[in-house]
Amino acid sequence: MGAAVDIARGETLIGKRVPKMDAPEKASGRTRYIHDINLPGQLHAKILRAGVVHARIVSIDTSAAKALPGVHAVITAADVPWQRPIGVAKDHLPLKTDRVRSPRDEIAAVAADSAEIAEAALRLIKVTYDPLPVVTSAEDALRPGAPLLHGEELTWTAPDGRREVLHAPSPDNVAMTFNYAQGDVARGEAESDTVVEDVFWLHYVTHCCMGVSGVIAEFDADDNLRLYSNTQVPFLHKREFAELLGIDPGRIRVIQPPIGGGFGSKLDIYPFEPIAIFLAKITQRPVKLIFTREEEFLASPTRQPVLLKLRSGCKRDGTLTFRTVDTLHDNGAYTSWGATTPFVMMQTISSLYRVPHCQYRTRAVYTNNPYAGSFRGYGNLQATFAVEAHMDKLAEAVGMDPVTFRLRNAQEPGEITPQGMHFKSCGFKQCLETAALRSDFRRKHNEYRAKWHDSNPLKRGVGMASMLHVGGGAKIYPSDGCGTILKIDDFAHLTLITGASEIGQGSETVLAQLVCEELGLPLSAVTVVNNDTDITPWDVGVHASRTTFVAGNSAIGAARKAKAKILAAAAAKLELPVERLGLRAGCVVETGSGNRFIEIGKLIRSLHFSDKAELVMTTHYYEPPSQHQDREFKGDVSAAYAWATQVAEVEVDTMTGIVRLLRITGAHDVGRVLNRLGIEGQIEGGIVMGQGYATTENLIVENGVVRNPSFRDYKLVTAPEIPAIDISFIETMDGEGPQGAKGVGEAPAICVAAAVANAIYNATGVRLYALPFTPENVYRALKGQAQPPVWRVAS
Amino acid sequence: MSGISNYVAPRSLDEAAELLRAGNVTLLAGGTDLMPQSRNGRTQLRPTLMSIRRVAELRGISEAAGNVRIGALTTISELRDSVLVRERLQALWQACDRFASDQIRNAATIGGNICNASPAGDTLVPLLVLDAQVELASKSNGTLATRAVPIADFLLGPGQTARAATEILSGIVLALPPRHFISSFFKFGTRPALDISLISVGLAARRAGNALHDVRVAFGAVAPRPIRAPAAEAALEGKALDDGVIAVAAAAAEAEIHPISDVRASDWYRREMVRNMFTRVLAHVRDR
Repeated sequence: MGAAVDIARGETLIGKRVPKMDAPEKASGRTRYIHDINLPGQLHAKILRAGVVHARIVSIDTSAAKALPGVHAVITAADVPWQRPIGVAKDHLPLKTDRVRSPRDEIAAVAADSAEIAEAALRLIKVTYDPLPVVTSAEDALRPGAPLLHGEELTWTAPDGRREVLHAPSPDNVAMTFNYAQGDVARGEAESDTVVEDVFWLHYVTHCCMGVSGVIAEFDADDNLRLYSNTQVPFLHKREFAELLGIDPGRIRVIQPPIGGGFGSKLDIYPFEPIAIFLAKITQRPVKLIFTREEEFLASPTRQPVLLKLRSGCKRDGTLTFRTVDTLHDNGAYTSWGATTPFVMMQTISSLYRVPHCQYRTRAVYTNNPYAGSFRGYGNLQATFAVEAHMDKLAEAVGMDPVTFRLRNAQEPGEITPQGMHFKSCGFKQCLETAALRSDFRRKHNEYRAKWHDSNPLKRGVGMASMLHVGGGAKIYPSDGCGTILKIDDFAHLTLITGASEIGQGSETVLAQLVCEELGLPLSAVTVVNNDTDITPWDVGVHASRTTFVAGNSAIGAARKAKAKILAAAAAKLELPVERLGLRAGCVVETGSGNRFIEIGKLIRSLHFSDKAELVMTTHYYEPPSQHQDREFKGDVSAAYAWATQVAEVEVDTMTGIVRLLRITGAHDVGRVLNRLGIEGQIEGGIVMGQGYATTENLIVENGVVRNPSFRDYKLVTAPEIPAIDISFIETMDGEGPQGAKGVGEAPAICVAAAVANAIYNATGVRLYALPFTPENVYRALKGQAQPPVWRVAS
Repeated sequence: MSGISNYVAPRSLDEAAELLRAGNVTLLAGGTDLMPQSRNGRTQLRPTLMSIRRVAELRGISEAAGNVRIGALTTISELRDSVLVRERLQALWQACDRFASDQIRNAATIGGNICNASPAGDTLVPLLVLDAQVELASKSNGTLATRAVPIADFLLGPGQTARAATEILSGIVLALPPRHFISSFFKFGTRPALDISLISVGLAARRAGNALHDVRVAFGAVAPRPIRAPAAEAALEGKALDDGVIAVAAAAAEAEIHPISDVRASDWYRREMVRNMFTRVLAHVRDR
């Protein structure tokens, strides 16, 4: 444990163990989440969902619900003819008009005096349906003659009668495709001494945020919309809501109460948000809509399930030659960010290791299943699972140990990959070596393997996997930047106004540290304001592990401007050259000697209350020096890249199939540790999320229906299951990163499942190609009763 | 909109039985099953909700004349904290130790766990192998009377028991096991906490040297109600435990169970686990 930082002595804050600024509020139960906010005159909304999988809506009768005392509004699509489709492909109307494509689909909504009355009103709504044939899998959706989910164009008619086509028909159920190629895979295969091909199945999981989804919408007397929202992208959504309502974005204010978990789930607009807005508009009252936990399971997004066929080769000396990948993504009934995860998957496939020849083809296909959004890792867990299984298989085939084989193909600093990613800092080889050393990997790998045929039903194994992920933003929108406003008051108290959202990841604390480091002030001198679009400067949103990097650089930029202003004033006042002055421990000091000249607060007061009456307030906008990819998905999309290797040590009970994680040894290239306590927590949390993906979590979807919408049967990892976790930080001091740091929010979750799969193989000699590794799935595989995934995809 | 029009909280068993006689009453004890089930619509609450939590005579564990009596309102935590239960009724203690979570153990009662009659109910399998009887109190003819029913006859199917609508399950009575009596419960779930049994195994017997006598075997979550397994019991009766006997008993057990496939497991896996875990329990007893 690091000692407490003594800011008075001018010690650095960087790399120290700094408790999160919001921790006392959260730990003492004072934090006011959206669930705790109640506005005067507020109504409570509930949504009627279809409950049927695929059907025509024949009729909806809301008369009895409208007549229930306490009900203020009951709406269906007919009441909002001006509603526009939402989502990434604009294929999804908030309230369904003539057809439902998923049991979660929104048919009607009620605003009432209480949630109980709204609930009762839902039960009075009568809907008749005409069933349609159900498309239960992506393979089925591609079969000739399959029912079409979006076979008709989706049009919108403006109030003036103008008609726009907002979503073109999908005549083959294909929602989105991504294709990428580098080199010549045929040549790569010809040069290979060993080729392996397998099919992998990556299952449904969902975010399970402790705070369920919710929103409060209200219009003021001038018809401006105020939205209390858990969004991760307030500025992008402000624009989208404006489009949806046909109003000027300037009239929308998004306020973000503390968010009870995001993990990517709040990157898109979902129907409940426009529905709450419609109800607020119609009732002219604030409308609050909070999901039940069951609704959260049924109607919040999932991680994208993927069927993936991978063919890889290498030479006898272990050099990788090529990779050919085909994937089929089950898009679900509508398109959200899940459809775009191939964008991230291809980075791992092309650039985690040096592979000269790659081909990647992928389709996201409409079905009647739940629809997939973005989820921590954004496709990278799925891609890494397949790639790292093949790294072990190829290593075994050429008689190399997994570490040596990976080291032979690992990226190095300075590499520009065929996809155009430029690894300016890269600690991948140190990650591999450190994780292998600290887990005693090579010795254990040999020893455990020798015990496959022992009589002991408990088998142990070690497995490793590595990952590459963006760590310096991701340039997908016109700007990947973030703005900061920094105000220093006359008592040297800082107000750090940042566009970056806090979603529990600890950004407030890290940003405050970075600013204090520049200005020589203690953390207690900082208030962070980050939750109101009428106040905060623009930011693209909290996603892509970008906040520390992008918002951090932005905050440092604002702090440096403030520092320059303070030092210039001090130089004038003290009649000393500015080069001799620095800021430390709340004072203007002499650089070198550290002699104190004047307290910063006093200096600012003398500036403020003088003839010139100057305030110290600065702004800065930081745009990372990354590139948009071209049409072939080539380009350096991030300003920095994060690396990691994790080794899982497991115990497999061959009588039950229970896989117990004993230890995860992780080595993470984080650029530089800013808040040691924070980054340890983030990495431990990510590992546990990866453990859930690997071993326990499974959203069971049968014929379009979620069978386990509760924590009773959707199993999160519980405390006794969490393994010992050993984390090493590889500090590569990224040249562009704030104080050398890179973003690592998603990194820790990405390779756990892949490492566990390799560990199960090392323990038992049985390789699993499908997640999750629940006891029954593992037991079946051990008994030779598992059906491995197969590629039966119409071309 | 629960449909409850009346809430009553009697302070004596007599008063409770009287209120129950009037009919249309839902009984509330710990509420850990009743509340979620009424919310998800599996249980319809009747117009009168009667909390029996103030009825002091339904609480506590006592021992008299070679019998143990456990009041219906005894919580799972109280059972787990009881020295008598831990030392003499090991199978029941083990079930309470693996029961849900602390919060649920603090609220859930043994009477409630029995009346909920889940095929996977944790305390039911130990009570079966301990030959427990349930005590039912009622005032059907004006005076408070009780009858005793063996637990095996009390459990009829999922959520179904032999309790009449006018009866309260007031307690559980079982003979204090003799010396050299062993009992064991093994809950098999997919995780070590907060889990519903995929299958569970109960075993009780008098041990004489290496041999088991008066053997009782029960399984949970493999049939519409927790069941005794007489063929497995017969295969073990009087025998010294060795690999051969264990294999015969495990095979016999497999023929006595009727597991289903659901979201938690397939019938095939449940069968495999009954065989493997019953084998493991017996091997553990042998090696102890």
